Amino acid sequence: MLKKAVILAAGEGQRLRPFTVNRPKVMLFIAGKPILQYVVEAVAQNGIRDIVLIVGYKKEQVFDYMGSGEHFGVRITYVTQDRQLGTAHALARAEEEIKDEFLLLPGDNLIAAETIADITRINPEAVLVKKVDNPMRYGVVAISQGKVTKIVEKPDEAIGNVVSTGIYSLTREIFSFIEPELDLPEALNSMIAQGHSIVARETNGTWLDVIYPWDVLDLNGAILRQAPAHVGGTIEAGVALKGQVSVGKDTVIRSNSYLSGPVVIGDGCDIGPNVCILPATSIGNNVVIAPFTEIKNSVIGDDVSIGSGSMLQDSVIDKGCVIEGHFTACSGRDEIRVNHERHTVSVGAMLGEGCKLGNSVVAQPGVIVGNYSQIRPLKLISGWLPDKSLVM
Amino acid sequence: MCGIVGYIGERQAKPVLMSSLSRLEYRGYDSCGIAIAGSHVEVYKDAVRVKVLEKVLPPMPGTMGIGHTRWATHGEPSQVNAHPHGDCTGEISVVHNGVINNFQKLKQQLVAEGHKFISETDTEVISHLVEKYYVGNLEEAVTVALHDIDGSYAIVVLKADEPKLVVARKDSPLIIGVGDRENFVASDVPAILDYTSRVIYLEDDDIGVITRDSINIRRHNADVKRKTHQISWNVEDAQKAGYEHFMLKEIHEQPKVIRDTIGGYISAAEPVADLTKSLDTGLGEILILASGTSYHAALIGKYIMEDLFKVAVRTELASEFNYYGQSPVRGQTIVITQSGETADALKAIKRLKEENCRVIVITNVPGSTASRIADQVVDTRAGPEISVAATKSFIAQLMALYWLALPYAKVDIRKLDNLIMGLRQLPGKVQRVLDNVNAVSECARQLSKYNDVFFIGRGINFPVALEGALKLKEISYIHAEGYAAGELKHGPFALLGADTPVVAIIAQDNTAEVMLTNIKEVKARRSPVIAVVGEDNEAISELADSVITVPQVDAIFSPVVNTVVLQLLAYYTAKYRGCPIDFPRNLAKSVTVE
Repeated sequence: MLKKAVILAAGEGQRLRPFTVNRPKVMLFIAGKPILQYVVEAVAQNGIRDIVLIVGYKKEQVFDYMGSGEHFGVRITYVTQDRQLGTAHALARAEEEIKDEFLLLPGDNLIAAETIADITRINPEAVLVKKVDNPMRYGVVAISQGKVTKIVEKPDEAIGNVVSTGIYSLTREIFSFIEPELDLPEALNSMIAQGHSIVARETNGTWLDVIYPWDVLDLNGAILRQAPAHVGGTIEAGVALKGQVSVGKDTVIRSNSYLSGPVVIGDGCDIGPNVCILPATSIGNNVVIAPFTEIKNSVIGDDVSIGSGSMLQDSVIDKGCVIEGHFTACSGRDEIRVNHERHTVSVGAMLGEGCKLGNSVVAQPGVIVGNYSQIRPLKLISGWLPDKSLVM
Repeated sequence: MCGIVGYIGERQAKPVLMSSLSRLEYRGYDSCGIAIAGSHVEVYKDAVRVKVLEKVLPPMPGTMGIGHTRWATHGEPSQVNAHPHGDCTGEISVVHNGVINNFQKLKQQLVAEGHKFISETDTEVISHLVEKYYVGNLEEAVTVALHDIDGSYAIVVLKADEPKLVVARKDSPLIIGVGDRENFVASDVPAILDYTSRVIYLEDDDIGVITRDSINIRRHNADVKRKTHQISWNVEDAQKAGYEHFMLKEIHEQPKVIRDTIGGYISAAEPVADLTKSLDTGLGEILILASGTSYHAALIGKYIMEDLFKVAVRTELASEFNYYGQSPVRGQTIVITQSGETADALKAIKRLKEENCRVIVITNVPGSTASRIADQVVDTRAGPEISVAATKSFIAQLMALYWLALPYAKVDIRKLDNLIMGLRQLPGKVQRVLDNVNAVSECARQLSKYNDVFFIGRGINFPVALEGALKLKEISYIHAEGYAAGELKHGPFALLGADTPVVAIIAQDNTAEVMLTNIKEVKARRSPVIAVVGEDNEAISELADSVITVPQVDAIFSPVVNTVVLQLLAYYTAKYRGCPIDFPRNLAKSVTVE
């Protein structure tokens, strides 16, 4: 039985910019928790309490949130990877902490406890694989008689739809195959070449990756389906709470607001009166939402303020944004370019942290606004605005 | 948050419990106590820290016991409210971490049934419930008692004549340490690491029975097996959660401290403290008293209140006020003390009370001595602070002062809305300071080479200069002085030169322009200048040798972001100099002598 887990939490997640300019990918907040916490909780539910977190990019944010792990019923040891040279390099940093077999998993994927249970029952070495619709994004695993024959990272042509989830059970043997600046699949391929056998175990459990900014919405939807209802704070007269709605402490929901779950609202928020929050929406801590605003299927970060009469659909608003009244961010299909890739997605607006929007700004579907941008009143915004943009 | 421990085995329990408790002080330290059982149960507890209790403990022979270190939530820190809590017979004893939601109702029932309560705590209902349901078997009594309880708990229960500890948890951490012919219980692993590295983590709803030689765990009336884990890390590292020092960990906690504080204050139905008497009756005089870092908060409070109230505010050092400053105050008095135990502050409060002054105390330790003798208490919610150099408790004091002042601000509604919005935005602004530490660290590398440093600021940032200098000298041992920028030319100029860097704090208010002039004067004496300034201030970048930019905030909130910069500057400078940052020489966290 595995007793130790190593979680990779050092990466930046460049394609998730602007959301990862100031935080590591594992610290993207969804429904009040960072992705990493969902992973740690899933590991703990499998009885694994001893966790090594490999941190690097903006590691202080991981320290600040995860602490020593006692709040999550685990004990965390931190190992720092100063330069992010690949997953195998990251794992090698933890060699001193590992005595025998261990579970290795990515901290930036949404992984359910049942998914992990699929691999903890078999002996190492093993890799957890899953059938997906879009294998080109992942490491595709070639399998023969239940054993891995090869892992091909992001193949150019389709060679199968079974991909590696990045969840492995391993022994110290792996360290003999790690060379600097390699990713893990390459280390595993050289293990296989040397005659080692690696079991491929298929899972049907939840495993979701976030790669692009709009993936945050899918993750939010998946998490909110499981979110329990819990009402703290003050709910004024005439508020309707339907379905699974969670409200944090010190939060006030003012009269005649309509909250239709799944909805998760954090601590210390001031919402309403007459605000409509529709599924599936998660709202952080210390958020102000002024009257007559409608928010649907969106993620709102900490310390955000949204003015009256606004409309947000399928949108992601990062922490600390101040949006004045009558902001419109309707959803629609749009083609978005990330690096040199083109993606057609249905999405509203995605705002980086600390943006200031004047009255009556209208966002085209798919707009991505860089951190700390300022948009003057009555502007129409579209496309991809870099950090600290000023739209006058 | 509290810490609990338990021991059963062959050793004397007292020293084991005390050393385990001292490892848990980071979870709270306003009071502590232990209970040791043999043919009867002996309890010793008080509202003191573990080290102090240890000195006064009587010999308490016995090889089975429980202990607790407390951070008050229900009921002030006092001897009666300290854990362990007993039942009516004194045979049962309980330590508890968590909050029992329905304790008022349970207490009423138990009192009606004839149980005698001594303390104000929620925990005491557990002791009496266990007594009520006891019919010869402790674990059965605990199991039934827990059915009545709604809330969160980690508990350890013992009873005279039953050689076992009964433990249970729900939503509060609890672990069992596995030894040879002995076993341990604790809230957190560090407590027991000196004795064993084998640990069992309990799950919610687990109820365990621990004897010298056995551990049996049941959940929903069925036996369950829990794995034993081998622990391979050391105590200190665990508590610092990845950071090299508590000070940096606590600096990084500040966005959360601010967010928690304003959440609590904003949602409160009433203002945090009543200033009506001094502001509306025409007495119009406010006195703020404090020592050390808290005095710098007091000075900033003076600027906040004078700006918002348009009345005169007087500040005094508590240690000076006790011997001079004889004119009594007719208006409101505010005393700021992190620990609530500072001897000078206590003496000042007593004197003020004798002169019939109304005293508001701002403290980080709810129920401390200062808060018990005050007329009104503002709790700063920074949580336990381990590093001797105060950081998050100072920022929390500023938050308390803002909230004390804002409900009475004599400003128009638009300005007030802007201020409240500005306050809500502060956690994010402070996080930005923390996220952009490279410029600060580079300036620290330079500063670490010098022996004398001046800090200058004006207006509301003058106290920030004092605080920056205090932080630097206390942890890096560099001689540092804070000055009002305009005062440098009245003497200190004689000391300026290429070997005396000057850290200048510039706010975006009516002092910005004259600060530029001051910096030019300093530059003319060849002093290297480090400027701490809001973004997009190009005039400064041309003038200063190094620039640390901070996010734009309303000038009234600038002390918050600027202080965080100076905390980081002091921290990294001390680190470059290899100083023992968390425990600087000759200093103690709470100064309980005059």
